Amino acid sequence: MIYLYTEKNNEKDYIIYNDQYFNLYTSNLTMGQNEKDAIWEIDHARLTDDNHIETKYGIGVLRNLSSGCKTYLNVIFNPDKVVSAMECGANVLDKLFEMDNIHLFMSHPERFKISDEVRICFNEGEIVVGRHGYEKWWTKEYERRNAVEI
Amino acid sequence: MRGEMQLKYNRIMFDAKPFSYQLEFFSRITLVRGDSATGKTYLYQLLEDVRFLDEYHDMKLFNYKSDNFHEELQKCKNKFIVIDNADIILDDEDRKFINFEKSNQYLLFMRNCDGLNLTAGSFTVLDEEVKHVTLKGELVME
Repeated sequence: MIYLYTEKNNEKDYIIYNDQYFNLYTSNLTMGQNEKDAIWEIDHARLTDDNHIETKYGIGVLRNLSSGCKTYLNVIFNPDKVVSAMECGANVLDKLFEMDNIHLFMSHPERFKISDEVRICFNEGEIVVGRHGYEKWWTKEYERRNAVEI
Repeated sequence: MRGEMQLKYNRIMFDAKPFSYQLEFFSRITLVRGDSATGKTYLYQLLEDVRFLDEYHDMKLFNYKSDNFHEELQKCKNKFIVIDNADIILDDEDRKFINFEKSNQYLLFMRNCDGLNLTAGSFTVLDEEVKHVTLKGELVME
């Protein structure tokens, strides 16, 4: 199940500023092979044993990873928190929606691959299934938002 | 000048070896979207230096580290404004300001375009071909 939150509430612990959170906390944790594989897949960056990264831009450090990659790693290392996916491109969202039991904050819909089997729980209420359910939920949500604006 | 629209900068060009950048603008508000890890924040960091060149001194940059972002944005007139992390730092008032303060031109690294007055030319992605980086129009599905 993917738990999606579309509005913030005070009951949950959120990571909204993924770059900052990653730079201060997550980057100090030990990256295993799964994390190294994700860094390669998303950023085409090779993580060395001394925690440098090698990319087409040159040699850097973990804080030079993309915001999307940092978000993915924040999700992996913080299963108890709701992590904002608002700065993620489709390549990262594809991977996030292959995971299970994660909590994401998204205030608007994005286009990316969603399998027909994935179950998505919106705001701890309605549960939908697959791409069709995801799109249908957002259509209704935008109708609701437009009605509120009028 | 493109049609009736006066842009602050029609084009920004610079070299940052091994890359060269040629960014052309077709709308007062340009969004840079696309996959993660396509070099958006890297470009933002380059522009932090480019703005010190005489020809680009009207450039103003903001990201999540900017102090008093909302107040500083509202002070901008006749600027080329670049905003990274725009999805998480722009609020509704900022979006209204961007729409109605037409003396400014904007380059926004963001995905959520709700509340912004955009044109088809607003939607772009970074494209790299043999170390040459441009803004390519993004196909937008209606």
